[in-house]
Amino acid sequence: MVYKGIYHLFYQYNPKGAVWGNIVWAHSTSTDLVNWTPHAVAIYPSQPSDINGCWSGSATILPGGKPAILYTGIDPKNSQVQNLAVPKNLSDPYLTEWIKSPKNPLMQPTAQNQINASSFRDPTTAWLGPDKKWRVIIGSKINRQGLAVLYKSKDFVNWVESPTPLHSAKDNGMWECPDFYPVLVTGQNGVDAFLNGPSVKHVLKISLDDTKHEYYTIGSYDRVKDIYTPDKGSVESDSGLRYDYGKYYASKTFFDGVKNRRILMGWMNESSIAADDIKKGWAGVHAIPRKIWLAKSGKQLIQWPVAEIEKQRANHVSLPSKLLKGGSVIEISGVAAAQADVDISFKISDFEKAEVLKPSWTNPQLLCSQKGASVKGSLGPFGLLVLASKNLKENTAVFFRIFKGQNKYVVLMCSDQSRSSLNQDNDKTTYGAFLNVDPLHQKLSLRSLIDHSIVESFGGGGKACITARVYPTLAINNDAHLYVFNNGSKAVKIAKLDAWSMKTAKIN
Amino acid sequence: MKNIISLALLHLALSLTFLPVSHGRGANLIETTCQSTPFYNLCVRTLQSDPRSSSADVSGLAHIGADKLKAKATAALGQITGLLKVAKDPKLKMALRDCVDYYNAIIKYDIPVAIEAVAKGDPKFGVQGANDAANEADACERRFKNQPNSRISASNKAVHDLSAVVASIVQLLL
Repeated sequence: MVYKGIYHLFYQYNPKGAVWGNIVWAHSTSTDLVNWTPHAVAIYPSQPSDINGCWSGSATILPGGKPAILYTGIDPKNSQVQNLAVPKNLSDPYLTEWIKSPKNPLMQPTAQNQINASSFRDPTTAWLGPDKKWRVIIGSKINRQGLAVLYKSKDFVNWVESPTPLHSAKDNGMWECPDFYPVLVTGQNGVDAFLNGPSVKHVLKISLDDTKHEYYTIGSYDRVKDIYTPDKGSVESDSGLRYDYGKYYASKTFFDGVKNRRILMGWMNESSIAADDIKKGWAGVHAIPRKIWLAKSGKQLIQWPVAEIEKQRANHVSLPSKLLKGGSVIEISGVAAAQADVDISFKISDFEKAEVLKPSWTNPQLLCSQKGASVKGSLGPFGLLVLASKNLKENTAVFFRIFKGQNKYVVLMCSDQSRSSLNQDNDKTTYGAFLNVDPLHQKLSLRSLIDHSIVESFGGGGKACITARVYPTLAINNDAHLYVFNNGSKAVKIAKLDAWSMKTAKIN
Repeated sequence: MKNIISLALLHLALSLTFLPVSHGRGANLIETTCQSTPFYNLCVRTLQSDPRSSSADVSGLAHIGADKLKAKATAALGQITGLLKVAKDPKLKMALRDCVDYYNAIIKYDIPVAIEAVAKGDPKFGVQGANDAANEADACERRFKNQPNSRISASNKAVHDLSAVVASIVQLLL
């Protein structure tokens, strides 16, 4: 959230170890979304309604600019309940202390409401309806049906459950971290109020407990009946549209009134084994905040790292436009390859020999796993080798492959971690996504932000995002290298290439 | 005399009616639960060896599995530290020390995390913990690639397999 011009991030934190447990609300602030200052823990177990844990929740800015936090507490019976906390001192711009409502829990599973006591969590940011009542949704499930339970309140303290959920879906499993928000139909600005009308659409994002992937739909919100209906053709499952096709979960957006944009914050946990996390003393990181907005087509969201991250750029290296012949590997020197920002765009002109996309190839992750960077192709694989050792024994490949589809060319974007580290203890799963870009008429762009064990990649200007966690043993610090490669038989043109070293930010 | 016999017969009848249903519902839940794990026999054997299993629900079975896993991992750790005491070869010592770290992660972190996650209703962290335990056992086994040690191998396999069983049981709670 943002309060008096200062950004606040609250996050699940275990003060006792580098694994999940003893969860509290840790708290950091920033003026630029890049440099962060930690503060005292904001919310920790102190009432019966959260004595066994202070789990996820969201902040809502009430009229008058007053923040309020609704969060899930674990009570003495290990039931999941919803609690309220407000700042102790509104004139403290860092909002370091929070006080809890003596009425907690405000929402809880009862014999009457039949809510599943171990599947009722993660209240989202509340919004005002036309009747001036607040609405909030909480993730839940009934057997295998995921749902967003809806509660309404006049005063933010007394909440009444709505007879129908905001939305539900079959066979999805538990809905975690639901996020429901309006987006403008045109432009990149954010919007806060849940207005109706042709200028606004609504987005519902669900984090799926079963698969640890998040998917979203775009649709319409009936403000009177409090029902959300995804647009026709929406896929409501793990196969739907994701914010990120890699390691990215439990995300949440907020409206940034300072710069009139909607910001997405996401969590990336480790792909290493616990013993390594314990050794290094930490586990879990947050992605670079992303601006998020509706694409012109209205059919998907677009994300892009906030502009503020560009302040960290230094040592600009630029390659002139050149042809990247099949089989070539070109080093991009002059940047700190372990801490870099690379932005490259390709232009393809000869589509004759593009491999045909088999109709059964519908799972991009599977396709990327079977056709990794080392599998030669025709138009592709071409892209970047990041966190690469000099002999390429270790490398993380982020690349494209172009296929001939039914009526158009299909672009597959992959993040191949299979050779990212000689350490066999890591999870080196490959990630993939189909990128909705027409390579016939548009340039194919790829931006990767590399930060030691994190690679955040954005295809097509943010139409598909893939985040990976890697742990090279050779390609570290000054021994990390950055290359552009083309392991296909056809040449592709590098239309533009820019790379920068990234200055270290002030992090927790 | 007749009354005493009647009373005895009545007592016997009542006792038989209230015998624990160890071959009824409890056993069936163990069987169906274990069917969704990759090591059915190991799963059934392990759960049935604990008296709590006959009246446990799936959460309870997961907890029992985690307890049994902790015992197995603790035994393996004892074996490893014992070998470390008498080891002379520096490469062997290094491998054994790594294994101590892996097994400490299982005992001190993975299993308590799994138990807390199941108890509080966020089973995905339990699945993660149990899967990590299997990975830690694998990591230890990899340390002996060039110097096979059958004593630890058996323990690593036992811990790996039981971890996979526990992960599958917790998965049912998602």
